[in-house]
Amino acid sequence: MLQINIKPYSIISLEPPPYRLALLVAILSGCFATFIIFPVETLWPLIAVYDLSTVKRLGKLLIVLLVILAVYRLFMEKYRVRSLLFNTERLETLLKNLPGMAYRCFNSKNWPMDFVSEGCYALCGYKRSEIENQHVLWGMFTHQDDIEAVEKSVLDAVDKGEAFEVEYRIIARGGEEKWVWERGRAVGRMDDEIILEGLITDITDRKLAEQSLMQAEAYSKAVVDTAVEAVVSIDEEGHIETINLAAENMFEYTPEMILGENIRCLISPDYLEEYDQYRSHFQEDHLAHRVGGGCEVMGIRQNGSTFPMHFVVSEILNQPDRKYVGLIRDLSVQREAEREVREQRDQLAHVDRLNTLGEMASAIAHEINQPLTAISMYSQTGLRLLNQKPPQNERCLDVLYKLSIQAHRAGAIIEHSQRFSRQNESHREEVDCNVLLREVHKLAEVEARIRDIVIILQLAGLLPMVVCDPVQIQQVVLNLLRNGMESMKEAGYKRGNRIVVQTHRSDIGVKISVIDSGTGITADVAEQLYRPFSTTKDTGTGIGLSISRTIIRAHGAQLKFLNNENGGVTFYFTLPYTTYKKHD
Amino acid sequence: MEALLFILLCLTPRIKNMTKTEQQVFIIDDDEAVRDSMSMLLDTVDLSHLCFASAVEFLEFYDGTQHGCLVLDIRMPGMSGLELQERLKEREIILPIIFITGHGDIPMAVEAMRKGALDFMRKPIREQDLLDRIQDAFKQETGIRKETVKRKKITNLHASLTLREKEIFKLVASGKANKVIGFELDISERTVEVHRAQVMKKLDAQTLAELVKIKIEMEK
Repeated sequence: MLQINIKPYSIISLEPPPYRLALLVAILSGCFATFIIFPVETLWPLIAVYDLSTVKRLGKLLIVLLVILAVYRLFMEKYRVRSLLFNTERLETLLKNLPGMAYRCFNSKNWPMDFVSEGCYALCGYKRSEIENQHVLWGMFTHQDDIEAVEKSVLDAVDKGEAFEVEYRIIARGGEEKWVWERGRAVGRMDDEIILEGLITDITDRKLAEQSLMQAEAYSKAVVDTAVEAVVSIDEEGHIETINLAAENMFEYTPEMILGENIRCLISPDYLEEYDQYRSHFQEDHLAHRVGGGCEVMGIRQNGSTFPMHFVVSEILNQPDRKYVGLIRDLSVQREAEREVREQRDQLAHVDRLNTLGEMASAIAHEINQPLTAISMYSQTGLRLLNQKPPQNERCLDVLYKLSIQAHRAGAIIEHSQRFSRQNESHREEVDCNVLLREVHKLAEVEARIRDIVIILQLAGLLPMVVCDPVQIQQVVLNLLRNGMESMKEAGYKRGNRIVVQTHRSDIGVKISVIDSGTGITADVAEQLYRPFSTTKDTGTGIGLSISRTIIRAHGAQLKFLNNENGGVTFYFTLPYTTYKKHD
Repeated sequence: MEALLFILLCLTPRIKNMTKTEQQVFIIDDDEAVRDSMSMLLDTVDLSHLCFASAVEFLEFYDGTQHGCLVLDIRMPGMSGLELQERLKEREIILPIIFITGHGDIPMAVEAMRKGALDFMRKPIREQDLLDRIQDAFKQETGIRKETVKRKKITNLHASLTLREKEIFKLVASGKANKVIGFELDISERTVEVHRAQVMKKLDAQTLAELVKIKIEMEK
């Protein structure tokens, strides 16, 4: 930055006072000289010849005038020298204070300098005398790569009679490379050589700052251009000012089509409300760039197709107007991967359910056999009643009624297991955990009866609804119940034959616990408890607990366990009240 | 179906005739529907019966005087059918047991048979088989009761023998001559003869063959 520091010199107005003074002095000294140097008596002969008085008077006047003139000139000359000296001194001070070097040189090879200001030392490390004596030439400092360009600019400017302005590098005395800025113009000729005058100043700092700024800018641009995320800068109203390549590809727009449009045209109309909410948020608190900020909305391409995207906006600082930069990430791949994981989880869960049912097949068959036995005997009874003479229709009606109940009972068991084994898209719905657990109870009871185990339901009243995949949660509970029963069998039912299913209402959700009275879980077992394909059971596949944990995690909860004080183990998890996700 | 009806029609009077005993069917099953349907079925053939929801309930009720047979579910909460079988054996109750087994209970059924069950039937049960088995059980029970009475009588008679007489009975029944017995016990042949006559009188045996039969009976 060129800044000439002008001190407020008291500028002495040279014109009026010295002239007046000089004139006054000259008159006084003229009169004085007349009387002193030429006494009237010495002139008398002359006066005698002519009209003495007239001559005397004229002569005196003339002498006085001459003396006045002489004194005035003497005085003025002396003053001129003094003021010239003073001016030069002032110029010197001025030049000295210039951030750089003022010069006068010949426009010939290497620009021999006629005059340079004191700034030369700071600029190039050579003393003024060295340069003015032309021991060193300016062109020798100039960077070899730049010298041609400088010469050309100077010549062009001189030809056109204009001032030139160049930026180039010089090598200072210590070998240090500096950037300088020079401005000058031709001022005249001497001996057929053009004389240039100008100022050269050190701009190394500025140049370095500029360079690092340019580098930073280039870096930013490279980052923005190669970013996978779409980068869109917008003004306060949301009008798009710039977009990067990724944005072009993501939304299939060319910059010409989209610049100046409102960013809302990149968001699916169904999601504008969410975007507006987010926008009002980031405009209020300016902290939109905090971690985890942003919103997930559906983006819309030029061709109208939509895709899930994550959108985060932060304010660009140091701008005259409020400006924002938005980062947009295409979530399609992520969503697709998530969907695949979910599908695999569901499939595995389904396999596990089928496996569970397979293991329970014997128990289920046993359970179905009960109503079938009853049905078979009721029907025989009915036949016998009808075959009696007279047919006992009244009693037969009762038998048929009971028979129908048993048929429904058998059907219900089959339906339960069928519902459990059905391969369905994981779907979430609002459910009452108590209802859900009562259904599981029916299914698990089939096995419990065979094992002579009593399942006790301790259900909290008036539970708020939770959103979950009912079949999968039932699967988890059934799994826990069956594991518990197996463990109780291992323990030889020493701690009783009760297994308890509890529901609790907590602040964050509904807690479901399965409390068995089996062997408990040792540290060894705990270590690989959830590892797939690790099992302590003879016939187990070892995916039960592992898939259970996955299911519970997918519901935003954790499956945990705790060894009971009086033996056995409690498995529990808390289904949060808000597991519902729009996109899941 | 018609064939079945025919069989039923043929069977009905026969069953009726045979149920004029005080024998009862004790149905023990935890499933109410099974109990109820079986009860109704037995009603149609006029078989006297009682239903129990658990083994414990039956044990509390039964005092050893009632005759009949058990139709017993092998799997029940609390005391299982097999356990009840054990208890009855301990209490020397000789009611024949027809086990009702579910799916996959074969090992248990085999165990039950080994321990002396009359038979086992798989659910769902063929009604006629059940009725037939009940008849078999009744027959067996009658037989066993007769046998028991007989054996009890023999045992009582045997108990009335003196120590020496019991010795003589054992040796006589094993086919030894009086002389040999006298020699072995270091008594005279005459004394042996007196004891022998006393033994035959007490045991109500006319011949040596009868004496041997009594011994075999006792050794069963």
